Amino acid sequence: MKRTYDAIVVGAGPAGSSAALTMARAGLSVALLERGAFPGEKNMFGGVLHRLTALEDVFPDFWNQAPWERHIVKKNISFITEGSSFNVSFDSEEADSPPYNGYTVFRPKFDNWLAEEAVKAGATLLTRSTVDDVIIENGKVTGVTMLRDGAELHAPVVIAADGVLSFVAKKAGLRTATFDPGKQGVCIKALIDMPKEVIDDRFGLVRDQGASKEIVGCTSGVRGGTFLYTNYDSLSLGMVLELASLNEKDKTPYDLLNALMQQPQIAKLLKGGKLLEYSAHLVPKGGYDMMPELVGDGIMVTGDAAAMCIITGINLEGINLAAESGVLAGKAAIDAHHQRDFSKSSLASYRKMLEESFVLKDLKLYKRSPQMLHNDRIFSQYPELLCGVMDEIYRIDGSPKETMTKMLLGKIKETVGLKNLMADVYSGWRAL
Amino acid sequence: MNINLDEIFDYTSFNIDRDPHIVLDENICKECDQRFCVNACPACCYTWSEEEQKMTFVHDGCLECGTCYVVCGNNAFTLWRYPRGGFGVSYRMT
Repeated sequence: MKRTYDAIVVGAGPAGSSAALTMARAGLSVALLERGAFPGEKNMFGGVLHRLTALEDVFPDFWNQAPWERHIVKKNISFITEGSSFNVSFDSEEADSPPYNGYTVFRPKFDNWLAEEAVKAGATLLTRSTVDDVIIENGKVTGVTMLRDGAELHAPVVIAADGVLSFVAKKAGLRTATFDPGKQGVCIKALIDMPKEVIDDRFGLVRDQGASKEIVGCTSGVRGGTFLYTNYDSLSLGMVLELASLNEKDKTPYDLLNALMQQPQIAKLLKGGKLLEYSAHLVPKGGYDMMPELVGDGIMVTGDAAAMCIITGINLEGINLAAESGVLAGKAAIDAHHQRDFSKSSLASYRKMLEESFVLKDLKLYKRSPQMLHNDRIFSQYPELLCGVMDEIYRIDGSPKETMTKMLLGKIKETVGLKNLMADVYSGWRAL
Repeated sequence: MNINLDEIFDYTSFNIDRDPHIVLDENICKECDQRFCVNACPACCYTWSEEEQKMTFVHDGCLECGTCYVVCGNNAFTLWRYPRGGFGVSYRMT
């Protein structure tokens, strides 16, 4: 069996469906391939979807159309030790009205919705369709073969939106054959059932307001962090753990998450909750320096497949970059059709548009943050330092107080060391 | 609350294929001195038997996350691909 389209998109996640939607709206015939039984079946993420400016032309009132759980009005960063936590919270009235800055969503619902929008615009969605190989003719990518029946799909342009391991990019010779475990993290997540009223009370929320909490500490020294997000009537609790660090410390991801659930301040938030679903996926955390080639003859690489992910410790961005890259790849494919030129130099307009957008600007801006976060002190000694200082400040135990400076210097010496602190402040300053 | 991977089929859904989508070269695993896959796999699909000197991978509860593909430093896979369309893990919410 052989079928021909104007464009093939591999993967119906946020990048792929955004690309398919853009091209279908311009009248191209598009095959959108998804290996799951439905789009989103295989997909998981932390849980917060940032505002998708890329899709605001198509969905001017996105918040009335997309399926989401809660919109985020409360942001919290928490440094925790075994028995204490130091919190920085930001609550904003402005975040409580549309266009919302971020939402908690479930991927099997959200990705399915976005793919259906691409179908409404005219794209052909083929589910249960795992791509086996890339067809290369005269050095140009001209299609893909399917694992199920060996069927060939042909198109002058293929968009790889097949996620973090992107075998499509690999087979087209655009990514390295192996990955560095220091640049990949595994995200594991427990979805926890909890009545809406309990979530509202515990997190101080009303209506469909949501809260997000990023947690540093209590990972047994493994480089990584924890997140806790509120869905409508469930919580998402998970960790992103650097693979090389897990190996060094000889830890399993689920043992670390189980231990964290026992931390007293976290345990209070989770009390009474019941585990609904457990999921895991890789996160490309190496930033700009681990990106593959974005363009080849007849092919473009988008989203996670192109390692478009920003982890600064404060922000975790991925889907917003994926959607923008999908839209821009779609636009480049439309231009290529106008010019009837699908060569690498023609499709290079995709890279150029990315350079001009926030995608590559932000990835370049935060280029140094993976290196900054490759620092074990952040994940154990700094939470100890912050909580230790707060404990000294608030503790009343009949002993006379030291001056603040003396106490601070003492605590710094006990935990991080003054020299390290100065080096880390400098590297943090440069990275952020 | 606790994540107990012995009970993973109680909370995460799978459409299990007959054939595994990941196959190991036993000889490479036997010679390996790292075996990072055993601890790093978030679904505990890899078990090393010291007695039999054998690595076992059970694909039934594989979450298709990609961790083993990245942590294996010896490329011990004679096959590593995603399951055939429609098979494997099936998230409902998450």
